[in-house]
Amino acid sequence: MLERLARLSLMLNRLLAAIAGVVLVGMMALACANVGLRFCGYPLKGTFEMMGFLGAIVAAFALGKTQISREHIAVDVLVRLFPPRLRRLAGSVNDLIGMLFFIIAAWQSARWGLNLQRVHEVSETLRIVSYPFVYGVALGCVMIALVFLVDLLKTALSSRKADT
Amino acid sequence: MSATAMGIAGIFALLLLMLCLGLPVGIAMALVGFGGIWLMVSLNAALGMVGSELWNTFSSYGLTMVPLFVFMGEICYYAGLNRRLYKATHTLTGHVRGSLAMASVMACAGFAAICGSNTATAATMTAVALPEMKKYRYDPALSAGSIACGSTLGVVIPPSVVLIIIGLYTGISISKLFYGGIMAGLVLTAFFLLTIVILCRIKPHWSPLGERRTLLDKIRVIPYCFEALLLFALVMGGLYAGIFTPTEAGAVGSLCALAISVIGRRLSWRGFVAAINDTLQISCMVFVIIAGAIMFSRFLTVTRIPFDLADWVASLPVAPVIVLAVIFMLYAIGGALMDALALLLVTIPVFFPVADKLGYDPVWFGVMITVITTLGAVTPPVGATTYVVAGMAKDDSLATVFRGVMYFLPAYILAIILLMIFPGIITFLPGLIH
Repeated sequence: MLERLARLSLMLNRLLAAIAGVVLVGMMALACANVGLRFCGYPLKGTFEMMGFLGAIVAAFALGKTQISREHIAVDVLVRLFPPRLRRLAGSVNDLIGMLFFIIAAWQSARWGLNLQRVHEVSETLRIVSYPFVYGVALGCVMIALVFLVDLLKTALSSRKADT
Repeated sequence: MSATAMGIAGIFALLLLMLCLGLPVGIAMALVGFGGIWLMVSLNAALGMVGSELWNTFSSYGLTMVPLFVFMGEICYYAGLNRRLYKATHTLTGHVRGSLAMASVMACAGFAAICGSNTATAATMTAVALPEMKKYRYDPALSAGSIACGSTLGVVIPPSVVLIIIGLYTGISISKLFYGGIMAGLVLTAFFLLTIVILCRIKPHWSPLGERRTLLDKIRVIPYCFEALLLFALVMGGLYAGIFTPTEAGAVGSLCALAISVIGRRLSWRGFVAAINDTLQISCMVFVIIAGAIMFSRFLTVTRIPFDLADWVASLPVAPVIVLAVIFMLYAIGGALMDALALLLVTIPVFFPVADKLGYDPVWFGVMITVITTLGAVTPPVGATTYVVAGMAKDDSLATVFRGVMYFLPAYILAIILLMIFPGIITFLPGLIH
């Protein structure tokens, strides 16, 4: 069961990271096109806001994959000195806190997005709705919370095995 | 509990979460900010802050320059640009004693001009330069120390993610910080080279002479430096002339790096994907830290600690330079314990108003704290760059690498003192930008 959940988490996070990669290249192309066209006197309208929206997708969709690769900076100078059992406990508390925080973040982002959808908020220049991007951030938060959950369950299981 | 006491308790809670639990820095800061706002304002305010600040940070136009500049550096890294830079500097200085160590430092400085990552620079330079130095029987500590310390230039010489974040966080012009970083980086480079010259004078057997290259060989390798020079001139020149914004500079730099690498057939599809993957992970890590730092600073603002501290320090009957020296000492110690970016984001809300109140130039202060915290990348116990070099140099122990780094510590200290005595070194170039 846990293996299946871990595989699902990895697959979904890889998929989101792949989308984020495409969006990153798109951001580069958009900004360069704007520079080029501005020289010709035809700047691309709405580049400013689109870059912001796309940047949000890049960051949010990479959240889970970054956690899987342990790229989020942590100060483990003291933790490395702990005995293995205490280290596992600290790791579990970390995973639990991380999971709870990102569940709250996902919930609040979704609420924020819902609010924007309700009032039909649109961007200043392009007049496009911004809530789908906010939902994108909420999705990214759900995915990293899933990674924390998988790690938490893995640690709990390995601790039980070590005890028996 | 008073607001100040609550703020101090929050700072201790943050340290506890980060040090005793090893919680990722961004999450720890966000959590303390959330808890603080909950206790001081209300739960609804705290919940609302999480949703809105996360969206505001992630969708900030200013922050989009982070993935774009990181992408530019990663493309260059996977296209092997720093290998060619090293070959060029090596060929040009081959007959001078200590030339291979000097070539390592110069190649690091050159690569720093297009890439803002210490560890990426350290990893390649260890792979490229260390075997060469071993071949010529260089002292292992000198070899490893020159690579580890040279790699720290990545954060000081623009474009640097750390300088971008300081600019976005404090409102200082990023272009000005970049230009301030150039001179600081050059001063550090000069002191590193001087250290190698002095070490090779005292212990000539540490660096046997390399072979003398013909003029034709030297001319042949000059184009190897062109790509780095072109990218650096494009980004910095465009910013200086006001042709594009820092975000656009990152995008244009990435596109040019990609074009140069593809045309030169140096970037494989696999390398391109790896560059994107690394860019996503580094950028995401930065975004999470910034979002956390903003939530933490919202809490600190409610407690008024930064302003009270600034007022208190300004009223102390000691010279401002003493206060500044204490702040710099704290940065040096903090830099040895945690990542530079995380440390800066935790401390800037507290120390920046103090420096401002004491009348120090914000650009100078921003560049100085960047230089000081990079020192932590090579000093124990964290010293990420040192671990990369030691991890890749199979024959050299961690102790040997740290011993090598120690030879370069006087260079750091002298550079910092020089930049403190003559702040104009940093502020001159930014002063030319209007």
